[in-house]
Amino acid sequence: MAKEYVYEVVKKVIMEVLPDLDSDIISIEKQLKDLGANSIDRMEVVTMSMEELGLKIPLMSFAQVSNIEGLVDVLTENYN
Amino acid sequence: MNQPVGITGMGILSSIGDDLSTFSISLRNGKSGIKQMPGKKEPDLSVEIAAEIEKFSFLEKLSQFKNVPEEKLQKARRLGQRAPFVVQTSIISAVEAWKNAQLFNASPASERVGLIIAGQNSTQNYQYNLISKFRENPEYLSPRYALEFLETNQVGILSELFDIKGEGFVVGGASATGNVGIIKGFHSILAGLVDICLVVGVVADLSPLDIQGFINIGAMGGKKYFNQPEKACRPFDTQHEGFIYGQASACVILESELSACKRSVPFQAEIKGGSVNLDSNSSANPNVNGERKAMVSALKQSGLPASDVDYLNTHGSSSPLGDKTEVEAICDVFSSHTSDLWLNATKGLTGHCLYSAGVVEFIATILQMRDGFIHPNKNLEEPIHKGLKFCGEEAVDHRINIAMSNSFGFGGINTSVVLKHGAVYDAVY
Repeated sequence: MAKEYVYEVVKKVIMEVLPDLDSDIISIEKQLKDLGANSIDRMEVVTMSMEELGLKIPLMSFAQVSNIEGLVDVLTENYN
Repeated sequence: MNQPVGITGMGILSSIGDDLSTFSISLRNGKSGIKQMPGKKEPDLSVEIAAEIEKFSFLEKLSQFKNVPEEKLQKARRLGQRAPFVVQTSIISAVEAWKNAQLFNASPASERVGLIIAGQNSTQNYQYNLISKFRENPEYLSPRYALEFLETNQVGILSELFDIKGEGFVVGGASATGNVGIIKGFHSILAGLVDICLVVGVVADLSPLDIQGFINIGAMGGKKYFNQPEKACRPFDTQHEGFIYGQASACVILESELSACKRSVPFQAEIKGGSVNLDSNSSANPNVNGERKAMVSALKQSGLPASDVDYLNTHGSSSPLGDKTEVEAICDVFSSHTSDLWLNATKGLTGHCLYSAGVVEFIATILQMRDGFIHPNKNLEEPIHKGLKFCGEEAVDHRINIAMSNSFGFGGINTSVVLKHGAVYDAVY
């Protein structure tokens, strides 16, 4: 449940950061890079998602994240 | 002999016109953009009169451009839609200028195009608005902030948009910033470093802190006429009491004659000379010698006698000491010729656009040259000097041949540029 909610939040943030994106092409196994996000866009997705969820997680925790699901997992772990 | 440098494109977004044609009509009609500030400032300020850009929508403005390649518009949208107001307004005036210079259907060599951002402290209000949230939650500061608080963000964005790879940097010169940018662009082309130079005068997006600072130092007017905002800005009138803040983004494209001829694009005007000098003064007061020197040395560079100048776009900020000092300097430089020299102050209509003022007034000068008129002086009921040829309340039809435009800034920065009516246009076409 929590993971689904977090994923919805992340999706919303991605659309905000990349407004020209067609939302249908976002899927959880994809990398943000594949959606056209540059390194700053990716950092912004992380920061904005944390803010949206009211979380403060050290940025180091995201070091091993390789796709959207990885990001959602780290956020979910801290959201519970 | 240096090869001529001219203006091949212009773009503007201001309180009295959001493109060149509406801006020119407003100038002719003497329309003022000065009014009660629409948005209440937080905290309350003792002066809330300004000429602000109202109801600005970046995406709407962008969608109104005709005959701009879709791929460019898309790029502009990507670069600008989440950017701060000052960046968005710069993109809009730059796209208009690039289009006006017919550069969308040319492909100039990227390395031969330069970019000068004439703007300083343009991120003040953007930063001010982030402070309270930052104090609560520093973790949520956008990583983009590290790019956006730098003035050079605009260098990056506009160079990416127009594929510019020659020289590029930011210049500042307080209220003379716009002229400093134009003069540096002129020099880059004269020195053969670039063939084309985009000069952008950036909107002064003042924070409430900055506005209060200008009030406290005694530079800002609007107190005497607090309930008659339309009367508050009165350059060279005995009732002047300080500048009124204005907003505008303005952009010009400077180009060498050879490059313009190759593209068969006419000069809208030619830059004959431009000069910057300092008073060695850390304070805010103007200096008649410095102002005189700026005008004399711009004339000397242009190889023209003072008597050839038939129009002067004054700095005229409505500051009592500033107006008085400029009048004295003008009388010194032009002496008996003042009776043939038309004068007006664009700030009376646009407010003082600070960093972009020089570019706004450069464009106003060229539009008056192009359309053959001198725009009215607003609120000039009783001039501080009777012997000068100030335009009155109505525009005057006049074909300007040689014009001068002055800008002076805090810190003793004096600038002046000399322009000639579309010379290459006459000679080549």
